[in-house]
Amino acid sequence: MATLFGIPLAALSGQLLLGLINGAFYAILSLGLALIFGMLNIINFAHGAQFMMGAFVAWLSLTYLGLGYWWALLLAPLVVGIVGIIIERTMLCRLYKLDHLYGLLFTFGISLLIEGFFRQLYGVSGMPYAVPEILTGGLDLGILYAPIYRLWVVAASVVVCIGVWLAVDKTRLGAYLRAATENPTLVRTFGINVPVLITLTYGIGVALAGFAGVLAAPIYSVNPLMGSNLIIVVFAVVVIGGMGSILGSVVTGFGLGILEGLTKVIYPEASSTVIFLVMAFVLLVKPAGLFGKETGGAAQADNGHARSERGNLKTLGIPLAVLLAVFAVAPFAVYPIFLMKALCFAMFACAFNLMIGYGGLLSFGHAAFFGMASYISAYTAKQWGFNPELSILAAALVSGGLGAAIGGLAIRRQGIYFSMITLALAQMVYFFCLQAPFTNGEDGIQSVPRGHLFGLIDLSSDMTMYYFVLAMFALVYLAIVRIVHSPFGRVLSAVKGNEPRAVSLGYEANRYKFMLFVFSATLAGVAGATKALALQLASLTDVFWSMSGEVVLMSLIGGLGTLLGPVVGAFFITGLQNYLAQFGAWVTIIQGLVFIICVLVFRRGIVGEIQGWSSDLMKRSGKLNAGASHGESKLSTPPA
Amino acid sequence: MSAGIVLQAKGLTKEFRGFKAVDDVDLSVERGSIHALIGPNGAGKTTCFNLLTRFLPLTRGSILFNGRDISALSAAHVARLGLVRSFQISSTFPQLSCIENVAIALQARGGNSFNFWSSERRLDGDLPRARELVDMVGLGAFADVAAGDLPYGRKRALEIATTLALEPEVMLLDEPMAGMAHGDIDQIVALIQKIRVGRTILMVEHNLHVVAELSDRITVLTRGQVLVEGSYQEISRHPAVIEAYMGGVDA
Repeated sequence: MATLFGIPLAALSGQLLLGLINGAFYAILSLGLALIFGMLNIINFAHGAQFMMGAFVAWLSLTYLGLGYWWALLLAPLVVGIVGIIIERTMLCRLYKLDHLYGLLFTFGISLLIEGFFRQLYGVSGMPYAVPEILTGGLDLGILYAPIYRLWVVAASVVVCIGVWLAVDKTRLGAYLRAATENPTLVRTFGINVPVLITLTYGIGVALAGFAGVLAAPIYSVNPLMGSNLIIVVFAVVVIGGMGSILGSVVTGFGLGILEGLTKVIYPEASSTVIFLVMAFVLLVKPAGLFGKETGGAAQADNGHARSERGNLKTLGIPLAVLLAVFAVAPFAVYPIFLMKALCFAMFACAFNLMIGYGGLLSFGHAAFFGMASYISAYTAKQWGFNPELSILAAALVSGGLGAAIGGLAIRRQGIYFSMITLALAQMVYFFCLQAPFTNGEDGIQSVPRGHLFGLIDLSSDMTMYYFVLAMFALVYLAIVRIVHSPFGRVLSAVKGNEPRAVSLGYEANRYKFMLFVFSATLAGVAGATKALALQLASLTDVFWSMSGEVVLMSLIGGLGTLLGPVVGAFFITGLQNYLAQFGAWVTIIQGLVFIICVLVFRRGIVGEIQGWSSDLMKRSGKLNAGASHGESKLSTPPA
Repeated sequence: MSAGIVLQAKGLTKEFRGFKAVDDVDLSVERGSIHALIGPNGAGKTTCFNLLTRFLPLTRGSILFNGRDISALSAAHVARLGLVRSFQISSTFPQLSCIENVAIALQARGGNSFNFWSSERRLDGDLPRARELVDMVGLGAFADVAAGDLPYGRKRALEIATTLALEPEVMLLDEPMAGMAHGDIDQIVALIQKIRVGRTILMVEHNLHVVAELSDRITVLTRGQVLVEGSYQEISRHPAVIEAYMGGVDA
């Protein structure tokens, strides 16, 4: 048998072909993402779900309409594109004036909605889709036997990519598109209908995803989850390539697919993480990405974020005292296990919110810290017999260290790139936990002993454990209040408010962000570790990307940048999950809906809205009493 | 290097994808002077500022501040050394009050900035000085108003107070009069004359009356290059300047 460097040539070329196919999907998907990002300045998180939708349209039209593969290649992009256009026209178009992060959150909600919908209808087992007859069989290429269908996929995607590139680079419409990407206002003054251009771009971008979905249908089984894992890899591809050039994203997509294929032959354990490793390396060496252009400073409008709560330290003690009093009696009315779970998520959400609310940094990878910590505390408590306080400490230290590694890389990029990088690196942590022996893979670490606090207090009863969790919650909450209202917190608020100005005053903005990241990761770790002890379980769910999404949702619905908001949000979402657990995928659908509604009409969240009303009321009555105050003191009504 | 030179740029060059925004500029700023950088739009004035304060990486050239090469330092580091800039578009911390804006700058000097374990009340010692600075720029009545709610001219004044809080050796003011009404301009001119004592000011300014009134020395840039340098009398008579700059203004 022919070998190359001791590797059988057939295996090598087989994996290369597989890599090329994956690369084809990366290329088409990142191409669509780049197109959309260029015009809309939005990272389309729903891209994976739209890819999956394309595959489903193929399967559905075959099953119910009897329309075959070739029809599907035409029909699926059309359907996905039209649905995309409807989404853009009715909802997405309202977000362009806001911080880019809201676009990410909205499309994340859309992806949950689509995914939940198909899961509810068709389950997760996957539907087979046959290769069209004309493309069955294979070619013997001497060194390998290549299925014709796979060659077709590679060829078709190369043609599509080149076609899109030519259309954007060589046609008049493409010229408008490129011009509008650079300066939409100017292009509008030329009499070109930019909103239509934007809508078209989104439609075409997601139609490409639908097309890729049809191509993928005969290779992978058609199932509702086929897009969500893929999209995270595609995000990494986009970070590596940079979204500056179309050809760049195509080349990067194929290249990384091949690299992944090669890794499968040489060192299979790393094949699922190699792209993320490349991303980390590129971030260290060339943060803007291989083909990217750095978009200058970070001076982006910050109009969407809830203003962080500051300067009312005097009134802070009261809500906390009330809160703790309520929690102290709660287990006599409510099931303590539920309360413990909700409190742990409340800690987690508070830790997450520390970063977005006070640093303006949207991490989409916080599950990595929560999940890793829950494994560490579960393992040290079960295998090494650590006391609870010690296992939580160990877990917090580990997640703090992990936070330093991930944060150090992620803060090298701004805005949505930051979010994509945290998501991708967290996915790497997920794969690590999936493969590392100490986590027990799919089984997780079960029946974790709660142990004796300081070796003295037995925590095995739910009531005792509950009060321990409550104490941990109070500790985390107070730590956050302290950090926010410290000299360091002051600098953070300056960096968040106006980063270039803070730099011009001598503050190394990135060091403050880095520290904030490590704090947030550490506290998320405390939450995860406490959860593992309270529920006596550490599992892959804790470290999966959907957990990162959940914590974003909790903070968003409670109110980003408010101290109490994440607590309210955590109880709301945990309660919702508890209540809806029997309805399966409805949880996902409803979470998606909540995301969408929050982003569209309810950006201040529950606590933010209440604070907004009460401060408006106070201002109004204050004005009545004091008569005319200074100047034109406006009733500040941030965009609701 | 002359003892009188506080800031010196040699062969300052910045290329954006082949376009030379700043092309081999030499600049020497005398200690204690007010030095103006003028020129038509697109001459590279603000890019020069961004290079000098390290907000943009250099393509070529070197920058000496008090004889020390700062061309590889970070923007924040340069600021801590005493070379502090303002921005063309007023740049404040919109959610903080005037006093808090200035206090943030005072805190930068205090070395308390990574302290996350004590209360921010530890910084209250800065408040009297912050109030003093806010009063000095005529914002006493607005001390507790959020910077974002100030009228434009007041924001510029606040920005100067914030910059002053750092006691910078060299202040770089990027178009301090941009978009201001006449009354406000007189106020800022008076303010600049007040604060120049004991420090050096390098400013980009379009308003030639202001430049004539304030500057000891003027460098004229066009198309990224130094056209001429001298006093206002010298440059205002220079034919190339009249051609490239004044002519455009008078027309």
